[in-house]
Amino acid sequence: MLNILVVDDLELNRRLLTVMLEQQGYRVFTAENGLVALSLLDEQKIDIVLLDVIMPVMDGFETAAIIKERYSQVYLPIIFITSLEDEASFERCLAVGGDDFLHKPFQEVILNAKIKAHSRIRNLSQKAREQNLQLEYHQNQVEREHEIVEHIFNNALENQQSFPTHLDFHLSPAAMFNGDMFLVGQSPIGSLYCMLGDFTGHGLAAAVGALPASRVFYTMVSKGMSVSDIAAEINSVLAKLLPGHMFCAATILELSNTGKSVSAWLGGLPDTYIIDQQGNIIRTLESQHMALGILEDDEFERALIHTEVETTSRIVMATDGIIETINPREVYFGEKRFKDVLASRDNISCHQVLERVKRFAQGNEQQDDLSLVLLNCLPVPEPEQMVEPYSELPFNFSLSLNSKQIKSTDPVLEVVNVISRVPGLNAHRANIFLILSEAYNNALDHGVLGLDSDVKNHDDGFLIYYQQREKALANLTDALIIIDIRYSPEEYALYFTICDSGHGFNKQDSEQQNLVREHGRGLCLLSEIATGVTFNSAGNQVEIYYQLTASSTSSQ
Amino acid sequence: MSLTRSTSADGAILTVQIKGKFDFNLVQSFRQAYADLNSNINKVVIDLRETDYMDSSALGMLLNMKKNLTGKVDTIQISNCQPQLKKILQISRFDKKFDID
Repeated sequence: MLNILVVDDLELNRRLLTVMLEQQGYRVFTAENGLVALSLLDEQKIDIVLLDVIMPVMDGFETAAIIKERYSQVYLPIIFITSLEDEASFERCLAVGGDDFLHKPFQEVILNAKIKAHSRIRNLSQKAREQNLQLEYHQNQVEREHEIVEHIFNNALENQQSFPTHLDFHLSPAAMFNGDMFLVGQSPIGSLYCMLGDFTGHGLAAAVGALPASRVFYTMVSKGMSVSDIAAEINSVLAKLLPGHMFCAATILELSNTGKSVSAWLGGLPDTYIIDQQGNIIRTLESQHMALGILEDDEFERALIHTEVETTSRIVMATDGIIETINPREVYFGEKRFKDVLASRDNISCHQVLERVKRFAQGNEQQDDLSLVLLNCLPVPEPEQMVEPYSELPFNFSLSLNSKQIKSTDPVLEVVNVISRVPGLNAHRANIFLILSEAYNNALDHGVLGLDSDVKNHDDGFLIYYQQREKALANLTDALIIIDIRYSPEEYALYFTICDSGHGFNKQDSEQQNLVREHGRGLCLLSEIATGVTFNSAGNQVEIYYQLTASSTSSQ
Repeated sequence: MSLTRSTSADGAILTVQIKGKFDFNLVQSFRQAYADLNSNINKVVIDLRETDYMDSSALGMLLNMKKNLTGKVDTIQISNCQPQLKKILQISRFDKKFDID
């Protein structure tokens, strides 16, 4: 039911209007002046006010202004009760917030029409107000969610290491929700990886792909995998996760730890430039592939661009924000201007480039997704390796292989994997592999199988040698190879003894000649890596002494 | 243990990547990796980033490749060696024969 407030100092008018309105089924409240009206408005939900102009205590002008100020959120119509001759005051009525006029003497038809019209407007206003409140609620909720997501993303995407002498880059704080991301990492052997990505779309939807992509990136970089493998894996993850119309244009590149070579996978971003200190473009690396997240695994194109760089070279990567910046005359910034800016001064910084872009835009909005990366091609300092303390337990390890096991297994790697489990030894596993591989293959090839290495020196000798080896292995019976490994925590040393059931050296040759002829490169290498290598007089057992600490310090 | 080969976008560089251990088990596939090279290729990169182990047979295979490719390509590069493998290559004086990045 509509509640109508009638404000008039004349009781006759109040009565008249009350009767007329109550006949239409409205609920009517009355007040004899503005002050009483305001207190009634305070207590009751009033939908329409009929307001006389001239009243004692508080007149209609003052009252209307206060009502409009207090009840501004939903349209509360004020209809001034006036006489026709009052024309001069009409203007003032409107100025203080009056919405309509009702002239005396009252005509019922006009009164009803005005009430209906204004109550319709009030209804619409009420609905709009409710919708606005709902909208505001959702807006707040989205804002809160954005804050949470931004927090998570910042933590997830935050680059663990910074390389201030190598990298100068800019991503706006809101870049995440523009779908731009920049990731940096270093591999165990020291090469520097960068990925600049631009997801389709804006907002939360554009940001979701960044989480899985960054995880794949960091994990694979920490294993030192190739750029093409990283690109393929991120593509595979995104293709599975993202809906069909979403993808990520990206450039992924690796600068070798020497700072001399660059491998890049380029999919869908604007050109990457290699520039010199003066900003002249030495080489333009154009996008080669479709963006990440589109192609199936078997269609994915892995081809990289490899290029040599100088220590004075710089690599410039950007998303399309810069070249697509528009000034008020609707002119694009474009590639030409971008290149000119790069060459406008020596060793230009990201900040200086972006200043130029902003000046060009002359305050035009859409400035927030200007992502830019400048990478200096310098040698990369090696990452610090975690040093695992050596075990204090004196491990012993031995196994003997009969001919069946010798034929069917390639035991070296398995043994290395077992030994590397001893705390502290994992850092030496490549050397342990080399020692065991040389010693075991020597015992097998020359001891047990009696092969002659000479053939390796001929053209295609390698292949022939291994064919002979396979044949001899197939015919092998009654053979034995014993591997014994002892770890000494007091000496920080490993002792290897490899003994075979073969005939040992040919007695007629001197030991020295034999070693050179039979073992060649392998033995040379073995004696460089190990601290001591001794054969027994029969030539079928070798003892190798490997100093752990010496090797780990000299391996740098 | 595996071997993959890939050609750069411009077709000029062949990259052979060896995963796991580089030893005599790869004799055949390694030889095949550089047999019948396309004439556009002027550089061969042996990428050892994911190579954990190598022994003297790997060195022999590399030398064989060098012998085979001399005159056919401009550069043979061994790249992304882990420190211990780099040391093995240095001990063997491979830095004199190959471009080791």
